[in-house]
Order: sequence, then structure tokens, then C-alpha cells
Amino acid sequence: MTLHDTFLPSPLLVLSAGIMLMLAGMAWRRSVVRGLSIGLVTELVALGMVTHHTGTVPDGSMGLFIQDHWTAFTAMLVLFSSACILLMSWRDLTDDGARPAEEYPLLLLLGTLGATAMVFSASYVPFFLGLEIVGISLMGLVAFNHRHFMRGCEAAMKYLILSGLSSAVLLFGMGLAYALTGSLRFAPPIPADGMPPAMAMVATVMILVGMFFKLSVVPFHMWLPDVMEGAPLPVAAFIAVVSKIAIFSTFVRYFGTGSLPPALNGMLYAVIILTILGGNLLALRQSSLTRLMACSSIAHVGYLLIAFLSPGPLQPGVITVYLVAYTVSTLGVFAVMCACSPSLSPNGAAITQWGGLFFTRPFMATAMSLMLLSLAGIPPGIGFFAKFGVAATGVARQRDLLLGALVTGSIMGLYYYLNIIRVMMKAPATPATKTAWRMEPELTTLVIVLTMIVVIGGLFPARIIHPFLPG
Amino acid sequence: MHALALLSAGIAFVGAIMVITRRVAVHAVLYLVVTLLAVAMVLALLGAAFAAMLEIIIYAGAIMVLFVFVVMMLNSGQPDAAREGEWLRPRAWAGPGVLAGLLCGELLYAATPFSGHAWPLAPLTARDVGLGLFGHYVLMVELASFLLLAGLISALHIGRNRVEDR
Repeated sequence: MTLHDTFLPSPLLVLSAGIMLMLAGMAWRRSVVRGLSIGLVTELVALGMVTHHTGTVPDGSMGLFIQDHWTAFTAMLVLFSSACILLMSWRDLTDDGARPAEEYPLLLLLGTLGATAMVFSASYVPFFLGLEIVGISLMGLVAFNHRHFMRGCEAAMKYLILSGLSSAVLLFGMGLAYALTGSLRFAPPIPADGMPPAMAMVATVMILVGMFFKLSVVPFHMWLPDVMEGAPLPVAAFIAVVSKIAIFSTFVRYFGTGSLPPALNGMLYAVIILTILGGNLLALRQSSLTRLMACSSIAHVGYLLIAFLSPGPLQPGVITVYLVAYTVSTLGVFAVMCACSPSLSPNGAAITQWGGLFFTRPFMATAMSLMLLSLAGIPPGIGFFAKFGVAATGVARQRDLLLGALVTGSIMGLYYYLNIIRVMMKAPATPATKTAWRMEPELTTLVIVLTMIVVIGGLFPARIIHPFLPG
Repeated sequence: MHALALLSAGIAFVGAIMVITRRVAVHAVLYLVVTLLAVAMVLALLGAAFAAMLEIIIYAGAIMVLFVFVVMMLNSGQPDAAREGEWLRPRAWAGPGVLAGLLCGELLYAATPFSGHAWPLAPLTARDVGLGLFGHYVLMVELASFLLLAGLISALHIGRNRVEDR
């Protein structure tokens, strides 16, 4: 095998080239704006090349990477979200001219490279390397909190230790699976001759636990709110969206190839119910908006897992729609938070500081309400359609318990999402002080685009979703 | 074969526990070296002699030297002689010494023909590893280099801000 016929999906190549270019630029002269522009262009080029590849497509069981409808769809989501996150961080970075923080776009691009490698992987090796690239670059990104440096460092430390622990569990599981199957290709381990029968079970459980840790499913969720609160807002969005999509895409690829052992079904049931109820219950009493978004993202992973556990003709479409709805709505909430929080005193972290936003910045408040309604699953947004689809798959497979959890969780979700809208509608106690807020064209454009996707996707879902449907 | 591998694994386990329970960094380093040697021994028993050599040269050798160097630099300017005397009393090195002696005895025993240890017929050589790394897995080597780059930049960023905030 020579280098020129090595199979490699083009986005990985483009992202690597962008990273090298950025490094070369840093060596010459440091400038944040150039770093951000290179990052944005790289991501857009990679977005346009998700279905391209170099080299010959490997036959059968040899290749490390794979490319099909599912990878194209998830890679597009990852690259699109990453570009949005780059735009969200633009103003924060260019403001601080004294200390050019060019590492930020570089680490963001590296994290995207890791997530893309995970999406395209068909074997344990690129999956694990991609996972570690995301984890290590996120550690640096989380510590980028300029205003509260110590808090950012604390969050980074928590993330590093817990992510290291979960990687160790995952790696152990992969080792056991390799001992059983003798292959590094993705395939749930099956009991083999001459090996203890429990080994396949242990391997599967360890791989599941490792992935659940990264997805922050309930027994392993404690790190998510703390880390997201300590991180800068765009990085919190990166944790909630990009890294979760990448893991979920591998999760589907890995466990979608064969049927799960029956003993695991019960465990998955319990985990899903715990995740939905736990995430929503935790979100009920949160006073910080970032922590609330973290808890709601835990609950949304639970809903996604219901769709994963109900195979059928509806399933691929439902998972696709749900991922789009979750990504766009979460990104929209974070974009509005990035736009508004500097002008809210003191920093817009607590929900009560958002009072009266409908009077001071009506456009942002309307967009935020639309995003929250979409997350809650109420008609004008695409989220309604997504949740409807999840319920439909559950009904088709008679998952009564899970549907009960879905309904209970959605009702709790309504309370805390609508509570934010209520706070924003409250008339300000003091006559509106004219706070000096600046034009932020990139954030406004971003919010408009995301709102359009949410609304048009909610009104005409078929037209938007159809091209993305996996074959 | 199982008994020998389990003995090495047990030594690695004991050593790892001692590493995280020591109060003095240098004592922990002594146990860490023994742990790495024990892991190398397991690898050698499995037939991966080349990986065992790398484990010893890179981890037990180079990285430990780096570690000791950093400990020395951090403690500069203090009365060193007394401190080092305290570090290297027999109580400190007896434990790692015993474990390392056990490992050495095990290696010698496994190498003798009457131990009954079935060495693999075709052990993995440097050539096999190189062919794998620069043939089928060449893209993974590149990906690993990006992983190291991410680690380097993260560490640089966190470390630099610490210094500035002081």
C-alpha cells in the first residue's frame, strides 16, 4: 500500500491543511483576525467537500475510514456548528487586542478535526485518536475564560480528569473486544470459543460506559454542568453540540451494525429513563442559564436514545431530524447569549438578569423565544417535528415506559423553557437604562440564519430534511 | 506462561498503587519506574519484545529522566544535601528494590529452558512494527501527531496564563 492510494475523506485533509496554514501564519506574525478567517474558510471548504475523498475506496474489512450518507450528514452538522461557534467567538477574541489569543481558533480547528475523524471512523484506532484530540483541545479551550481565569482552569481540570477516566474505561473495553474478535473494525463483540462467555458482555458494557460518559448520560453526567459553566460561552456550545454529535454518530455506527444482546436492553431502558428524568429534574431549579442549557442537553440525549432504541423504517429520518433540531436550536440559544450577555449587568449568567429583554432588544428576545420553544417541542419550531418523530418511533415499537418518560420530561421541560421567556417578558423594574450596545453584524446574521432554519424547518420539514435522509 | 504474566501484572498493580499513595514525589518516581518495568515484562512475555524495549527506553528511561530533572529544577535554592539524604534513605528504596528484584528473577527464570515458558515462535520485530506504522496505519501516525499538537498548545496556553497572572 502506498500513500497515494490511501483512502482519506477530504474534510480531514482540508482541516489538516488549514491547521498547518494557521501554524505557518502564527510563526510569521501573530494576528487573531487572520487566524479566525483561516479557520472559517477552512471549515467552509471542508463543509463543501464532505462527500469527496482521495485514494481508492477500500474493499470489505480493511479500511480505517468509511464514507456514506450518515457520515456526510453528521460531518456537515459538525462542520456547520463549528463554523457557527467560530463566528460566536469572533468579537470576544478581537476585543482583546493586547494579548492575541491565536491559539483559540487553532484549538477549535483541531477539535473539529478530531470530531470529524470520529465521524468518519470505521475502526477503533481513528475513533480513539479523534476522541482524544477533541478531549485535549477542549481542555485548552475551556481554560480560555479571560474574565474568570481560575474558574476556567478548574473546569478544565475537571474535564481533563473525568475525560481521561472515561477514555481509560473505553480503551479497556476496546482491548477486550479486540481480544475476542481479533479485529479493530467496529463490530459489537460476540462470545468466542475458548474465551470466558462473560468477556463479550464486559467488553460491550465498558465501551458503552465510556461512550455514555462522553455523551453525559445520567449516571455519568455530573461533569457537564460544571464544565460548561466554567467555559466561555462558545466553548460551552462546542461541548454541547460538536463533541456530542461526533460521539453519537460513532455510537450509532458501532451499535447499529448488529443487534444488542438482550441483557443490555434492560440496562439501556433504565439509562434512558434516568437520563430524561434526571436531566429535566436538574434543570428545574437552575438559576444559571448555561447550567440550564447543560441539563437540557442531557435530557435531549435521552430523547435521541429513545429513537436509537426503536429500530424501524422511521428511525433514520427521525434521528436525522432530531439531530438537526437539537443542533440548530442549541446553537441559536448560545448565539443569542453571546450577543446579549455583555450588555446585561453584570455578565448575563443568571436567568434573572435577562428580565425585560423584550423591551430592550426585542429582536434577540424573539429569536431566543423561538429557539427555546423549538427545544421544548412547540409547533413553530423544528423541535416539534423532531419530538413528534421520536414519539412516533416509540409508539411503533411499543416502548411504553420510554414514552411515559418522554411525556413527563417534556412537561417538565415546558416549565423551565417557558420560565425564561416569562422572565424576558417582565417589564423592567427601573426605566430602561440605555445601555451602550454595539452593532455585532456577524452575530445578528448568525441568529437570523439559525432562526430561519428553525422556522422553515418547522413549517416545511419535508423539503429541508429530504436531501439529508440516509439511503 | 499465565503464572509469570500474572506475577508481572501483580507487581505492576502494587507499584501503581504505591505511586499514588507516596507523599514524596521522588519516592513515587521510584515505584513508577518499577511499574513501567513490570508492564514491559508483560509485553515481553506476550512476544512483543520490541514494544517492551520501547517501554523501557522511552518511559522508564527518557521520561523519568525528564521528571527527575524537573524535580531538581523546582527545588533549586534550598539546602539540597539534607533533603536528598532524606529522600534516599533505605526505607524509601527498599520497596521498589524488592519489586525490581522480583522482576529480575522472573525474567531470568523465564529465559531458562526448564521454565516451560512457551515463547511465541514468531515474535513481533521492529520491522513488523515499522511496516504497520508506515504502511496500513500511516494516517493514524499523522492523526497522533495532531493529538500531540493539541496537547502542546493546550499546555502552552494554560502555562503561559499562569505565569502572567502571578
